[in-house]
Amino acid sequence: MMLPEFELINSGDKSAALSLLAGPDRIKVIAGGTDLLVRMRRGETWGRLLDVSGVPEIRTIEADASGIVIGGAVNHGEVSAHSKVLEAAPALACACSRVGSPQIRNMGTVGGNLVNASPAADTLPPLLIHRARVKLESVRGIREVNLEDFIVSPYQTSIRADELLCGVYLEPLKGYRMGYRRVAKRAAWAISRLSAAWAVREEKGVFLDVRLAIGSCTPMPFRAHAAEEFLAGREGSAAVIAEAVNMVIEGITFISGERPSYIYKLPVLRGMLENILRG
Amino acid sequence: MFIGKDMPRIDSLDKVLGRPVFAGDMIMEGMLHATILRSTRPHARILRINTAAALRLAGVVKIITVRDVPGENLFGIIKKDQPCLADGRVYHIGQPILIVVAETERTARQAVSLIAIDYDEITPVLAPSSSPDTAPPIHGESGNLLCLRTLIKGDAERALADSDVVVSNTYRTTWVDHAFLETEAGIGYVDGSGRIVIASSTQNIHYKRREVSRLLAIPEESVQMIQTTTGGGFGGKLDMTVEGYLALAVYHTRRPVLMRFSREESFLSNTKRHPLYIDYTTGARKDGSLTGVKVNIVGDTGAFISYGEVVCLRAAVHATGPYEVPHVHVESRMFYTNNPVSGAMRGFGIPQLAFAHESQMDQIAMRLGMDLLDIRVKNALRKGSLTATSQLLEHSVGLVETIRKVEPHWRAREKESDSRGFGLGCMYYGCGNTGASNPSGCHIRLTGDGRIALHLGACEIGQGSDTVLMQIMLETLGVGEKEVQLVRGDTDTSRDAGSSSASRHTYITGRAVYEASAKTRSYLEESGYYHGRSLRDVCDEASARETAVFEGFFDPPTTPVDPLTCQGVPYATYAFATHMTEVDVDRVTGECRIVKVHAAHDVGKVVNPTLAKGQVYGGVAMGIGFAVMEAFEPGKTESFDGYYIPTSMDMPDIEVYFVEDEEPTGPFGAKGVGEPALIPQAAAIVNAITDATGARPFELPVHVERLKKLIGL
Repeated sequence: MMLPEFELINSGDKSAALSLLAGPDRIKVIAGGTDLLVRMRRGETWGRLLDVSGVPEIRTIEADASGIVIGGAVNHGEVSAHSKVLEAAPALACACSRVGSPQIRNMGTVGGNLVNASPAADTLPPLLIHRARVKLESVRGIREVNLEDFIVSPYQTSIRADELLCGVYLEPLKGYRMGYRRVAKRAAWAISRLSAAWAVREEKGVFLDVRLAIGSCTPMPFRAHAAEEFLAGREGSAAVIAEAVNMVIEGITFISGERPSYIYKLPVLRGMLENILRG
Repeated sequence: MFIGKDMPRIDSLDKVLGRPVFAGDMIMEGMLHATILRSTRPHARILRINTAAALRLAGVVKIITVRDVPGENLFGIIKKDQPCLADGRVYHIGQPILIVVAETERTARQAVSLIAIDYDEITPVLAPSSSPDTAPPIHGESGNLLCLRTLIKGDAERALADSDVVVSNTYRTTWVDHAFLETEAGIGYVDGSGRIVIASSTQNIHYKRREVSRLLAIPEESVQMIQTTTGGGFGGKLDMTVEGYLALAVYHTRRPVLMRFSREESFLSNTKRHPLYIDYTTGARKDGSLTGVKVNIVGDTGAFISYGEVVCLRAAVHATGPYEVPHVHVESRMFYTNNPVSGAMRGFGIPQLAFAHESQMDQIAMRLGMDLLDIRVKNALRKGSLTATSQLLEHSVGLVETIRKVEPHWRAREKESDSRGFGLGCMYYGCGNTGASNPSGCHIRLTGDGRIALHLGACEIGQGSDTVLMQIMLETLGVGEKEVQLVRGDTDTSRDAGSSSASRHTYITGRAVYEASAKTRSYLEESGYYHGRSLRDVCDEASARETAVFEGFFDPPTTPVDPLTCQGVPYATYAFATHMTEVDVDRVTGECRIVKVHAAHDVGKVVNPTLAKGQVYGGVAMGIGFAVMEAFEPGKTESFDGYYIPTSMDMPDIEVYFVEDEEPTGPFGAKGVGEPALIPQAAAIVNAITDATGARPFELPVHVERLKKLIGL
């Protein structure tokens, strides 16, 4: 199959992009194209693409005490190397550094990754542990949606046709140990078979706040709320950890039932989570 | 002067400057584009082909079916059995049915999508089997057994019964794609004299010229085959790829035509590495010496033969591995199925066998409490040994030396953590075709402009043959690089040098180049060149006297093996190698990282150290893919999206050691290294995984999920 012919419009600044999106013509945002162009080569047709990868207002990362805002058109390479992200959201920096290959990281954007909403998206689990909210803008105004609500099903989000994902807001986390771990079929340039992001705050062997998000396991990345609540205030004993891990696994099978891939994934996840919680 | 020196690749400067044009990027005035419509069914009769909608599409020039083939529709390197275009029936997914020729590539591909085929499906045979119930004959009335080769040396049954220890296991491998960087592509046109010219990415121009001539029913002289810059082959560009289709399109339209496969088409159409099932029984005495082996090999050739018969034979001949085994019984069978056609791929069945025999060696040693390296030394082929075919090895048998090269690292091995493991893999590999004539020709010409031109029909596919062969000529002639030129890859200007396969160009074509160079040298000597006369002068005189061409030819001395026992001298010489590999296995996830490889190769003589090392690095990469990643699933795998090959991030540190046990029939003692570089790698990884985890893999690839299941969920 060949990539179909299409018209590519460079959007200029944000307001120009929003007015093009508000217009009567069918137009699709392209913010890097590492997913969209692949889909188009497989038959998805779009006559006009609006390239927002150069929109200056959504190309920045802003960080202060109240959190980090990553522009929708910031690419994975930029996120993974940004000093503020490395400091305040190391799990996200790590996840972005593991996306695809250097070429893909330099093209693919955070906004694109979120709107594509793949169950295997690397940015999703770390963003979930930061209780990320996405900022959606149109000529009608701005709305903010929790990332957990933004994605409604695999490859489906609640973004509207005239909206642009302008940024994603991350809650700052201090005093946590954080990380991201993925399993793939090779060392690089591979889709995650399974991934986990974590943020753990503990004191004298007692969990104060634990945040766990699992990717590539459920239709949408899974935040293990029940296990997190169970862990809060409990001592990190083997029994407690085992119980919490059981809760995560139960939560996943409650959502997805039994799947052939779980024969592999769930034992691996169990081992990974035990290691993560043990620290 | 030149042998053993790192002469830069002849093509390296052009390549880094981006100058070479690959076939898929070629453009000619008035050029058309051709695309193939392929079967979507594994086995079916074609009831109707409706091309009406496609023909109505503006820009469609011609649709070519089997009825438009002027000559013989069947091609094949060993036997002519594979239809160029389907004749009423399809035998595998991806089989070509017709060709659409159009003004643009987009139109051609769109037209293909508009063609409707009505199939009457036939139950496909999807696994090799001799049972007519489970596997009805695919071709004609006889069963699906393509061939059986039996190797008998001594009495294996009795030797096994008398052994102190016997180990018996079954090993399985699956389809592997060559995954060359450049997909299949070519351009064809009619030249000024009315001849059909095909320029394509290929490993074998002279064979393909013969096939095109048969297909079009025109004399060979009316066909010119040119090799374009080729981005990898690994055996996958030995069979006809685009050439026949281009020839038909040019024949019917008389216009230039380009054809290039997408990656999806390449995966769909290209031959694969044969999946082999290997039942392997090994017997040994208490002291570790092997008493006998019994091997039963079952392979899947797919719907057509391609190289199936010779892979079957090569597997039988190499089944013991590089060890002296007094009693051997091998049965090697190849079956037709409706799976993808398997063909030549680097190692020709032997990477699969090495996985089996090296796993067996470790298990025998473990049962006996022997060191894994010592047992290999004990049984290693050496000068005076008899191979499984009872061939007496008289020279150039450097296996023990390759083991000695890695021995210090083996003795000093220490596990950094319990996730680490070490493994050994040894191999031997016959250079050239198996018990069959496989000559190379070449010639050297003194040109009118005062230079010495080396004319090569050998296809440089990235392995470095142009450079190595030029080094052999330069060394023999004792001239400088400025005095010579290379004329290559064109049937009009070259002798048949056979295919770029079987690790044969350095050894066989290299010897032909040496022969031609020696004649040239005598001539230069007689004509006073070495005594101060200018090359220009010598060349002028030679041109005038028509004494300017010097032929080189070499066909390695072999004998056909006995049809019933496979005894004989199938190869004139063998390459030997030992790889030691360290892995790091994550027990939680099943991920296996290859940490370090020590690779020692007896190549006879190193012509170009950097290029020889390059072959080994590439072989290690391919071996990693074969061991832990690569699995083509028929009807499922479409592209690199679902087919994983190693990237640079999966590569270990590699130390390469060369042993130079010179081969008397080779040029300056050289043998081959192209396939040997790959062959022991997967075996060494499997043994290292076993060392790291205590669990032994019996099926490749050992990808993360399989390894995790093996370790325990």
